[in-house]
Amino acid sequence: MNWRKVWTIARHEYLTNVRRTGFIVMTALIPALGLIALLLIALLMPRGEEVADWLERQFDVGRKPIGVVDRSGYFTSILPEYRETFVLYESQETAEAALRAEELQAVLVIGEDYLNSGEVVALTRESFGEAAIADSARVRRFLIAHLLADKVDPALAHRAADPLENLQSRVLSGTGQARSGGMVFTFLIPYFLALFLIMTIFASSGYLLQSVAEEKENRIVEIILSSVRPTELLAGKVLGLGALGLTQVLIWLGSAWGFTGGAAALLALVGSVGIPAQVFVLGVVYYLLGYLLYAVLMAGVGALGTTMRESQQLAGIFSFIAVIPYMLASFVMINPNVPVARVFSFFPLTAPTMMMLRIPLGEVPWVDVAGSIGVLLLSIPAALWFGAKLFRVGLLIYGKRPTMREIWHILRG
Amino acid sequence: MLQVQNLTKRFGDLVAVDDLSFEVEPGEVFGLLGPNGAGKTTTIRMILDILPPDSGHITVLGGPPAAAQPRIGYLPEERGLYRNARVLDMLVYLAELKGAHRARARERAMEWLERMGLEDRANSRVKDLSRGMQQRLQVIASIVHDPDLIFLDEPFQGLDPVNVERVKGVIADLRREGKTIVLSSHQMNLVEALCDRILLVNRGRSVLYGSLAEIKRQFAPHTIRVRVSELPPDLPGVVAVEPRDGAYDLSLAEGTGPRDVLRALLDRGVDLQAFEIAPVPLEEIFIRVVTAAQDSSGATGGTL
Repeated sequence: MNWRKVWTIARHEYLTNVRRTGFIVMTALIPALGLIALLLIALLMPRGEEVADWLERQFDVGRKPIGVVDRSGYFTSILPEYRETFVLYESQETAEAALRAEELQAVLVIGEDYLNSGEVVALTRESFGEAAIADSARVRRFLIAHLLADKVDPALAHRAADPLENLQSRVLSGTGQARSGGMVFTFLIPYFLALFLIMTIFASSGYLLQSVAEEKENRIVEIILSSVRPTELLAGKVLGLGALGLTQVLIWLGSAWGFTGGAAALLALVGSVGIPAQVFVLGVVYYLLGYLLYAVLMAGVGALGTTMRESQQLAGIFSFIAVIPYMLASFVMINPNVPVARVFSFFPLTAPTMMMLRIPLGEVPWVDVAGSIGVLLLSIPAALWFGAKLFRVGLLIYGKRPTMREIWHILRG
Repeated sequence: MLQVQNLTKRFGDLVAVDDLSFEVEPGEVFGLLGPNGAGKTTTIRMILDILPPDSGHITVLGGPPAAAQPRIGYLPEERGLYRNARVLDMLVYLAELKGAHRARARERAMEWLERMGLEDRANSRVKDLSRGMQQRLQVIASIVHDPDLIFLDEPFQGLDPVNVERVKGVIADLRREGKTIVLSSHQMNLVEALCDRILLVNRGRSVLYGSLAEIKRQFAPHTIRVRVSELPPDLPGVVAVEPRDGAYDLSLAEGTGPRDVLRALLDRGVDLQAFEIAPVPLEEIFIRVVTAAQDSSGATGGTL
């Protein structure tokens, strides 16, 4: 490996691509979106309350009262604190009429022998409303409070109706320190951070694909290969375009820094998100390993297509595999150590994205961390071998795409 | 300069290069000829270390192909340039890949742009150049790093007569500077004008190899060309007469030498203005050799 040539290629790839319109637009887009968000906040700040009300309405799933038809007698005369949200009806017909008129969210018909049978009929306009009622803490509180009213101490009745009224959650991290955080910070921000990193992996390996396909399409690759070894060309491109991806991430981070008013604010953000240092370190490790793996594979596959379009189609399969963890995100969110997540952490093509998704969400067994890094470290040389081989032969086959049989011959020969 | 011994390369069932051996001497212009798909490009790619040979041995510039790369220039038949790059930047990058230093590469690139009449295009984008200009730029790209051995695969393809002369001039200049050139072309008149020795390849095998003058003599022992006011009808040993450009090509019978015909002509007191062994155009030799080989077996392969 002649590192001077690798450096020449890396430098050339970096300088050529950093001027591409696609790169500039993509890089400017994120800070631009941030700026727009800041402007919106600044504009709306003076009318804060209106905005808050409006926002609340957007998330309002049902502020209408619930109608009650009481055949058991336990709920006749509703307790004062529930009168705004629950309305008593004499007959089911009038309650249904009110429901149809959209005055009510739902109607509960309490059975005559409720105490023994627990029979409650819930009437709603939409079918999914029924599940909402069954799960509703509001309805449970209402029922418990009325069953216990006048029979026990009011404080006990109140506590029984709402045992988790003042819940504070603390998560014990590996260092034994408690950290607290809201739902948004523990889940969404790491999720989006990981998503951004994954996007840059794909942006950079996409540039790599493009650069390989372009050199092949315009045939200059023949001259290049008479000057450098395929592995040097591959290494130069991977390094140059990796630096390009890193530039993009740094510009994004830098602009976030600028918008939030400096380093202190950025660190405060990180602090409030509650991400320990090792998550960042591991994030960088998976980022680099993931980029290397995908870049090498994309380059090899890019060399197989005869045109840019064809190469991109071929590479699509890798992009698809890499987003599988995101399809499973809803399971991983609930439990980052769900078996399916652990399985995908040991498969090289999904390991970087899966681990980037899991690690910010909670404690991940060290076996998974070591195992996934090990799998990646082993598969990168394999991919390099495979990629360089495809690259070397693919680049010289013009005019037609090699068949699977030919690819097999290339790999064996 | 270049020694190729028993070189063989297969692609699946196709034998692209079959036990090929030849040598290129320092300072000569060597013609590498053959029909499409004969294995010329594959041979060149192996010498340039782009493809590994299946068997055989290559010594180039005194060492293995990998070590010689920086001192070799290559103009591939499949032309390619960075379309969006600027002319000078691209030349400097290509020279750097060959191991040249940036400042020196820049100087040489400017020199060659001037020599090729492209100096005012140094900062243009490659795609904005005309076809002829791109062709000339491609030639510069192959020699900008000052190589000792230069492979020119179809350097005249797509050039107008003015630019053909310009590239011929460049080849002559390079030769004067002591460079060795391997030229592959289908334009036989240009090969005849430029090459000292040739190798004719057909289906991966050497079918004709040696000095151009020697080969032409080999192929023309039985035809002589005479220019006379009137040709006597009954010359001994002449089996056919064909008028050509105001002269006559005489085909001689087996066992008759040019000397016998000359003596007969002089004996008859013919007004002899010119007498020569008829030069056979290289094109004719090419077609004769290749069709003879084709007739003896099936079809040719594709370019690989």
